[in-house]
Amino acid sequence: MCGLASENPLEVQIKLIRKYLKLKIMADNISFRGHSQERNHIYDLFKRTVSHGESHSALMLGPRGSGKTTMQLENAVGDRVFGTFAENLAFLLSCLQSGADRRCKSMLFILEEFDMFCHSGRTQTLLYNLFDITHSEQAPMCVLGVTNRLDVMELLEKRVKSRFSHRHLFIFPNEHDSQRAPQYKYKDVLVQLLSLPVQKTVKKKSRSRRNTVSDDMEIDAALENSLPPHILARYPDFDHLNPDFILDWNQHITGMAEDYKLIDCLEKLCYYSVNEQIFRNILFELVSKLSCDSPYIDVSDLSAIIDKTVAPEHRVKLLQSLSILELSLVIAMKHGMEIFDGQPMNFEMVLHRYTKFANSNSSTQTVPRPVILKAFEHLQELEIIMPVKTTDSIYNGSETTANRVQKEYKLYTLAVPNEDISDAVKNFKALPTEINHWFNNSVV
Amino acid sequence: MEELQNKVPCREEQLNDLFNLLGEGDECLPCSIFISGSMATGKTLCVNSVLRNLNYKHVVIDCIECYTPKIMYEGILSGLDDEEIEVKYETLMDLTNNLNRLQEATIGNNPVVIVFDRAERLRTMDHNIMSAFLRLRELCNLNVCTIFITHLVYENFYFKMGVREPIKLYFPNYNKEELFKIIFLHQKSFINNLLITHEVDDDIREELEKPELFANFLNAFLSVFYRPCRDLIELQHMACVNFIKYCEPIIKNEINATDLSKLWRHISPILKSSLELLYLRISNSKSVNPSPGKENSDAEGIPNHNFENTLKEELTSTKTFAQSFELPYYAKFLLIAAYLASYNPPKEDKRLFMKNHGKQRKRLQQVRAKAKITEKLNTQLGPKVFTLDRLLAIFYAILEEKIGLTSNLLAQIATLVELKLIAGSKEIDLDTAKYKCIVGYDFISAVAQTVGFNVRKYLYDFM
Repeated sequence: MCGLASENPLEVQIKLIRKYLKLKIMADNISFRGHSQERNHIYDLFKRTVSHGESHSALMLGPRGSGKTTMQLENAVGDRVFGTFAENLAFLLSCLQSGADRRCKSMLFILEEFDMFCHSGRTQTLLYNLFDITHSEQAPMCVLGVTNRLDVMELLEKRVKSRFSHRHLFIFPNEHDSQRAPQYKYKDVLVQLLSLPVQKTVKKKSRSRRNTVSDDMEIDAALENSLPPHILARYPDFDHLNPDFILDWNQHITGMAEDYKLIDCLEKLCYYSVNEQIFRNILFELVSKLSCDSPYIDVSDLSAIIDKTVAPEHRVKLLQSLSILELSLVIAMKHGMEIFDGQPMNFEMVLHRYTKFANSNSSTQTVPRPVILKAFEHLQELEIIMPVKTTDSIYNGSETTANRVQKEYKLYTLAVPNEDISDAVKNFKALPTEINHWFNNSVV
Repeated sequence: MEELQNKVPCREEQLNDLFNLLGEGDECLPCSIFISGSMATGKTLCVNSVLRNLNYKHVVIDCIECYTPKIMYEGILSGLDDEEIEVKYETLMDLTNNLNRLQEATIGNNPVVIVFDRAERLRTMDHNIMSAFLRLRELCNLNVCTIFITHLVYENFYFKMGVREPIKLYFPNYNKEELFKIIFLHQKSFINNLLITHEVDDDIREELEKPELFANFLNAFLSVFYRPCRDLIELQHMACVNFIKYCEPIIKNEINATDLSKLWRHISPILKSSLELLYLRISNSKSVNPSPGKENSDAEGIPNHNFENTLKEELTSTKTFAQSFELPYYAKFLLIAAYLASYNPPKEDKRLFMKNHGKQRKRLQQVRAKAKITEKLNTQLGPKVFTLDRLLAIFYAILEEKIGLTSNLLAQIATLVELKLIAGSKEIDLDTAKYKCIVGYDFISAVAQTVGFNVRKYLYDFM
């Protein structure tokens, strides 16, 4: 960082802040909020396994991004976390075999993506063995399954179920503070994630009298907004952060949190999703926009990013980037499917409709058939139209020997919703009027 | 930055987004980025040039090359690892373990970016591979970011169980002005291309090198081609072909380089005709005339050495292609009979091909039903299969003269199958063999013309 000394100090600070916040948003999956009851439950479970040599099994369920992994990570610090990924079956099995010999040691199995183990018969055998050992009193061990499938119990075989202790832990993003709307929770997270630690100044004070227990608590409180030390240790240059600047920044963040506009856009986000990972992504994008020219976070930026994330409408944009010819084919197909109640269509039918339109409008350039076919294939490649695989359509029901069909006669359905098409047509730049007209006056 | 924007024109916003997200130095990277946009919108170019500019350690995996995940894992690791180690990387676990090993050994906190080009191919692999790569950061200790580049939108990646959501970026198509700008950047190479193929005097050369001339050409060109095609690569190719033609009269001193309206009149029919060749990539320069008056009485004699030429012929025009086959007389009728058998319903055969078929009672309902459903016409639904005896029956019905059923005749059916004009099963028993005519109406009408036969008259759809 010494090389940067010659640069503008503001720029250095901004860069450091950006780096710190990015790190905090992305790398920090250990700090933990809420769910104290469940947390204690798991902690208790683990403690009993480790200290008393009891065997347990439990299942943790909850939607994506609700902090399941974070919870067990925090608890498992100190223990070894085996196999966090479903692929390492072999590794797990070998552990299982050696487990019987090492009677004295307690073992902790954390099976993430638990539902992956439920698919084939072979892996269910593994689950059965695993749960079975928890009953056999040989080796003290705890099996904790983590999944986001709420119906995971139905996937289990009967014999597996019989060995399982039926201890369920449900984790939902905002079950505890149901009286508080989720956007306020988001606001807290936002403030917490975007604030910088002020440990230095406070630390000095507490260091002078660190004998009492209450002082230790104070250090904890001061470090609340900081990163866990083992991550921080990898990045030494945060010491260059100017304390005044930090104070200033934190004031800016808390000031922003009071803004009602911020609450508004967070509320909007909550309508779509309460997944914290998505929220972190949004914050990440927000922070990465920080630079010398715009050293502070603007609420309007945030709302723009939220709009972009929750309603990306990439499909509409994709439709809008089609050429006029391709869009015409999509419209022709839409009309055709409206007339025939969603029956799939082949290229010849689409071409027929399109030529009907093109002939009635003398102003349109006529395009030769191979080019139209190519445009049709382009649509297929973009998966705007999808080939029909089933044979239950009326067209080829009789033809059981339907050996390879020529590409002109392969049946396709439209894979984009009608609303997207009309959105795209509405906002299409420089769309010829006759196509717009054709689209709106649908059935000819 | 300036330099980069010159290299990647018209993508300022996307470049900025990428730079912001990837940060600089050892800043923390986002977990994953998903980039979508239509073909030829500069997605890969942007990502690659940004990464090269930032000088991050990165691997680009083209997923189309990876028919098994193993190849992909090995590609990633050999791209990141400087030293060559012969290890088999079979599973994701091997990958993450090795990445962690690399982190300890060499990489440390330095950012690593893994780019998956054509990421739509990942969908055909095990479904957990994509979801694992989306959260690769969680699975290993590296400061790693995965970038997915694809022409599909995110909604086309159906994940059964949901995944860690990536940050999504969208690359819109270039609009007309941007296309103009980008193609215009390559004016030099267009001129060079022209000069290679043609001998040009110095003063005319000066004329040709004027940017106004090229700009004018591009305007004319885009006004024709922008409507059916927005693919930059294809447009560039077509512009290259057509620019030569545009300049030909100037080189021959027929049209003055400043006479724009005359040039436009010269080029517009050429552009229209080359519109037909869009995407087909046929070079007209090597137009081949099949030697006239070549008599091939036997259909087997369709010469192989002529195949490439005939292929070109077909692509230029179905009609000339159909005539180039020079089938024998009876084979032509057999082909027509096959077409009729494929596209007519069997129960109408009697009415179509027999002289005394009795009166057709037209019920009003029937007429109305027929008039209504143009989409259900046989010609639009594709060919149906037919048996050999039906084919022969129709063949004798449409042939005026009476000829015997000889083995020669049957051999011609086999020939037609061989030529892929009729699709047939490899059945030995002639009674059960099923056939299907696989040539289109244009082809058949061209063939029928040569023998003076009206196909439309015998098609149920057109009655």
